[in-house]
Amino acid sequence: MAVPPGGGSGVPSLPPPCPKSPPEYPDLYGKRRGMAKVQLLEREIGFLEEEVKSVQALQPASKCCKEPDPLIPTKHKKHRRSCRFWKWLCGLPCFSLSWICCCCHSQCSCQVKCPQCPRCSDCLKCPQCPRCFQCPKCPKCPKCPRCCDCNCDCGCHCNICSCKSCFSCPRVKCGWPQCCCSCACPSLPSCCCRKISCSWKCCSFRLPSCPDCSSCCRWGCSCPKCPKPKVRLCCSCKQLCCNPCCLFF
Amino acid sequence: MSVSELKERHVAASETVNNLRERLKQKRLLLLDTDVAGYARSQGRTPITFGPTDLVCCRTLQGHTGKVYSLDWTTERNRIVSASQDGRLIVWNALTSQKTHAIKLPCAWVMTCAFSPSGQSVACGGLDSVCSIFNLNSPTERDGNLPVAKMLSGHKGYVSCCQYVPDEDTHLITSSGDQTCVLWDISTGLRTSVFGGEFQSGHTADVLSVSISGSNSRMFVSGSCDATARLWDTRVASRAVRTFHGHEGDVNTVKFFPDGNRFGTGSDDGTCRLYDIRTGHQLQVYYQQHGDNEVPTVTSIAFSISGRLLFAGYSNGDCYVWDTLLAKVVLNLGSLQNSHEGRISCLGLSADGSALCTGSWDTNLKIWAFGGHRRVI
Repeated sequence: MAVPPGGGSGVPSLPPPCPKSPPEYPDLYGKRRGMAKVQLLEREIGFLEEEVKSVQALQPASKCCKEPDPLIPTKHKKHRRSCRFWKWLCGLPCFSLSWICCCCHSQCSCQVKCPQCPRCSDCLKCPQCPRCFQCPKCPKCPKCPRCCDCNCDCGCHCNICSCKSCFSCPRVKCGWPQCCCSCACPSLPSCCCRKISCSWKCCSFRLPSCPDCSSCCRWGCSCPKCPKPKVRLCCSCKQLCCNPCCLFF
Repeated sequence: MSVSELKERHVAASETVNNLRERLKQKRLLLLDTDVAGYARSQGRTPITFGPTDLVCCRTLQGHTGKVYSLDWTTERNRIVSASQDGRLIVWNALTSQKTHAIKLPCAWVMTCAFSPSGQSVACGGLDSVCSIFNLNSPTERDGNLPVAKMLSGHKGYVSCCQYVPDEDTHLITSSGDQTCVLWDISTGLRTSVFGGEFQSGHTADVLSVSISGSNSRMFVSGSCDATARLWDTRVASRAVRTFHGHEGDVNTVKFFPDGNRFGTGSDDGTCRLYDIRTGHQLQVYYQQHGDNEVPTVTSIAFSISGRLLFAGYSNGDCYVWDTLLAKVVLNLGSLQNSHEGRISCLGLSADGSALCTGSWDTNLKIWAFGGHRRVI
């Protein structure tokens, strides 16, 4: 309730507010940090003084160079096989090496077997199985440019080109007009890229060189953002998927 | 002691440190009466010569959709792991160029990757400040991704580099933007030792690279934005064994020389340098004069098996092959046919020394090997 100036009812007025300054707390944290930094510097001084003494006893660089020359080629006997492979590889005029099996003379050591080795019997981790993709015998669909929307279950873990509607066996008599992946040959290994070993003649197709990535794309893109079921797969193909998040092998 | 007295002591100590460093620098300069190239020339050594077909690109590994930042070879079986801005690690069979794994990372900002000595695991790290370990033999999750086997948390800054201790799948060393290096026990996920740090004697800026000696796995070197390289003994985390000065910019990469008594560095100042760990001497500077104003920075280095060749990747896409003895560039992979179209960000030599892999911001990796009949050195 306002009190008119000069007038009043005799109520004493309160003194104006006068807040106190906050008390001065000791800056222990800052001081301790400062002391730690000083101790660190003094320790560094000790290290540097030691180093100055040790440098005085050092020989000049020319004496160090007179030591037995370490830059002398040494013979290395390890990994000769891969060493020879690299050298041979670079001597080839053409790096289209689809017919090379790097280790068909011995048990395949890589987790995914040799891309063209038909003798490797286990198809492991099929989504990354390169063998089905680069197998020279894999048929290429003459009609359908894309095999990636294939739903054929060829029994192989690899989602390789086995679309029922994608390719047709040119040999009508083989009885498998649409999908050679359905080959029931008892000797057929699980991966249909090994149809080359199948006794069904219709299965021995050769894969021509891929002129277009999309014709050898094996997997449909499961990325929900990808507008098209098309992915970049070919290891040596330069075409890219429309969506950078789609990265399959 | 009052705060003002403390400040005075700090100033005096800083001045003493700077004076001592200057004295050390001058004493070392006096001891550098020659360098490796000068001595080699005086001994009549001749430089190596490379023909145009001696080193060729025999494989281009395509698959990343972002800049490649790091790569590492296995110690056997010729596999490579690469890390990219696309947030993936890819494991390649280098001989066949097939991809065996594509690992989508929990944090896309990866900066480094490494293969374990056994080849069964890969480690990576980046801006998430965590080093993640993946077991390549683990079954994938429902979404097809490989699960993280272990996360090594503790750094207070980005993980710039990681390397497994030779022959030990359970220990690795990381370098970080928090100015420290850490030795980890992967089985427990805990830090065994921390090298440097706020109140330890160590680097005074981000650490960018580490290299563990192949001949003595207790010794490793680190390179930092403080323009120094430091030699550490894993048994003594409190201080570096020696600090190596000379560079005038960030030391981006360090690599031990094959004999374990020397190491090389690459820096923002455009030079590579060779240091002796026993004496601390700077043995050689590797620098090629450029006509341009801008000097390309050195991003990555590797030595050949004998050490006679030093491979150095640069920010302008060049990849020089230096004769380390005579400090001459004998070949520039960046000028060869089929070379990278962007900065070389990483490179590494295969375990048998017969092939070099380079990674680039052009998203590719390339494998270079000797095409002629030259004896591999």
